[in-house]
Amino acid sequence: MSKLAKIIRMEFRLTVANRVFIVLTILGPFLIAAVTILPGLLSTSVAGMGAKATKIALLGADRRFVQEISPALLQSKIEVSAVQGSVESLDSQVKAGAYDGYLVMPPDFSEVTRLEYVSKNSADFRVMGVLQGVIGKAIVAQRLVKAGIAASQVASLTQLPGFEMRQLTQGGERKENSDFITILVTGLTLAMLLYMTVVLYGQVIGRSVLTEKTNKTVEIMLSSVRPMELLFGKILGKALASLLQYGIWVTVSAAVLKLIGPRIGISIGVGLSMSTLAYLVLFFILAFFLYCSLYAALGAASEDEQHLGQLAWPVIIFLVIPVVMITSIISTPRAPVIVALSLFPLTAPIVMFLRILVGAAEPWEILVSIGLIVATTAAVIWLSARIFRVGILMTGKRFKFLDVLRLVRYR
Amino acid sequence: MIELQSVSKSFGQVRAVDTISFATREGEIFGLLGPNGAGKSTIIKMIMNILAPDSGSILFDGSPIRESDKDRIGYLPEERGLYRKVKINEMLLYLASLKNADRSAVEKRLDEWLARFDLAEWKTRTPEALSKGMAQKVQFIASVLHDPEFLFLDEPFSGLDPVSTDVLREAILELGRRGTTILFSTHNMEVAERICSRILVIDHGREVISGSLADIKSRYGHNTVAVEFDGAIDFGSLAGMVRNVSRFPRWVEVELLEGASPQTLLKCLVGQVSIRRFEVVSPSLHNIFVELVGGAGKTGSERMSG
Repeated sequence: MSKLAKIIRMEFRLTVANRVFIVLTILGPFLIAAVTILPGLLSTSVAGMGAKATKIALLGADRRFVQEISPALLQSKIEVSAVQGSVESLDSQVKAGAYDGYLVMPPDFSEVTRLEYVSKNSADFRVMGVLQGVIGKAIVAQRLVKAGIAASQVASLTQLPGFEMRQLTQGGERKENSDFITILVTGLTLAMLLYMTVVLYGQVIGRSVLTEKTNKTVEIMLSSVRPMELLFGKILGKALASLLQYGIWVTVSAAVLKLIGPRIGISIGVGLSMSTLAYLVLFFILAFFLYCSLYAALGAASEDEQHLGQLAWPVIIFLVIPVVMITSIISTPRAPVIVALSLFPLTAPIVMFLRILVGAAEPWEILVSIGLIVATTAAVIWLSARIFRVGILMTGKRFKFLDVLRLVRYR
Repeated sequence: MIELQSVSKSFGQVRAVDTISFATREGEIFGLLGPNGAGKSTIIKMIMNILAPDSGSILFDGSPIRESDKDRIGYLPEERGLYRKVKINEMLLYLASLKNADRSAVEKRLDEWLARFDLAEWKTRTPEALSKGMAQKVQFIASVLHDPEFLFLDEPFSGLDPVSTDVLREAILELGRRGTTILFSTHNMEVAERICSRILVIDHGREVISGSLADIKSRYGHNTVAVEFDGAIDFGSLAGMVRNVSRFPRWVEVELLEGASPQTLLKCLVGQVSIRRFEVVSPSLHNIFVELVGGAGKTGSERMSG
């Protein structure tokens, strides 16, 4: 076995045997599942959460109208009742808790342009949305009936047609249904995965390189191996450990969602084609190693953890930029700035992935982008090996940039 | 064989190593001596290719050190460090494996060394609870576990208790007898005197003296006499005969001037004090070191005008 392989094995074992790593590996899928399922539960099915029905008073409403709309509202756990009286008396009833809110109904539906919903809860968007949908639709239907259209025809006449997109590419038709939301979600998935990984493992690798210095083990290691071997070994060992963790997470999460998901009425449609998935994995791994090597360089350059934290934050900006620009990347994927960002190694993984999803990346651009990421990763590791060596001599004092350049030239 | 040819190294304005040349012979124990900050560690780091010299060359068997040569070298750096979370036996086996050493032989040697340094019970524990001296012994084991041909030890004795010092000294001597070429740095002259065959004394990066211990002692052996006595000596009466007197509580070490004979001194002293021991000795390395590096008036020695 080569010395590099031995270092990789040692670093892998050190990482995997760590208690935090084990706990995270076990809890991770549950966290992921919780994060994926909870919003679904909260937004779609309040019933599942055991919440009480929301009581809404409809001030001045017609009893027949209330009967008409209440079944639809009950599905969303909203109980409506027609009441008569003054706004003031209802205000006090809502304050006292007899109702969760009330809606002032106009006497004549044909002229109304807006309805006022009064509630104690300022962010009652869910109730508001449901009321708007059900009551708004009922009002429009009444207007149409009044205008002489048969009540049975109203539903089909007011139905909006659904839209589908079919994109033509040089390679032929794309079968994938790549609508804006799917691309956005897929792109954000990569961005979030990278962000999480960089924050978690980038720091781990940076710290591991740093402790090699602060632990004073570095001289012993360098009496046996090259600085490059040591750094490559550290990065690869930790990277493999984290990829193993990701593999476990993804497998278990998928299994959990597949088993439990249907029972609680939630389906997660990960509508990814094989090629998209391949690109996702490819760019994730490329970016992962690039950022790991950057953190290794920072670990080599810093002299304590605090210093490492200070040096490390600008790195994250390059992950945030593509996320902030995500809509412009999707809508104008061939703009010069976007093309430049898709070639610049630090932003390339996310930006180029999005451009591929939109179908606006030429094959040569993809190749150049990948080539640049790989070359940069190698260059950064080479550089950090140099800095590492410099760092040994410089322990205890901050070295200037020029020192680094001078010592980078060392044999 | 390790050979340094006019090697220099500066850190900013400080000339840490100034045109140092020496060569070790196969199977010898070579001592690199000097006070704190003399440049000993810098020299060893340059030999290990951790630092690059500004000028001069370092040859390992006649050519610059190659990556493959590292497997034949054992190195104990001045700064000690172990992975805190790794068990001692795993750490040691790992380090030996990075030297491409045969695993089964290493495992056997590991047990022997741990027993020798009284560390057997620590074998499967992490070094977090080790004392500084114990950690140092573990690191010494790390430097010899792959049975290297060359051993570079930077201050191997610093911080060790007397028993551990003895054990380590015996271990180094034994390795030397088995043919390992050993280069070590120290400012502990007593230890150096007992185990080195040749030495290089440096101060402020420059060579002060080098050669075999025997040669140096005879060169600096100005007819030194150790006298143990009761009573008080009038050192003024010895002027013209004595170069230097080192006073110890019960005895003195007297360096005679050229031409003065121990006989004359003895005659002179007989009248003054009752002598219990009178011995012509070679000067201790300590005294030579202090004379060469520390100058006069330090550590109990006193220079007589004469």
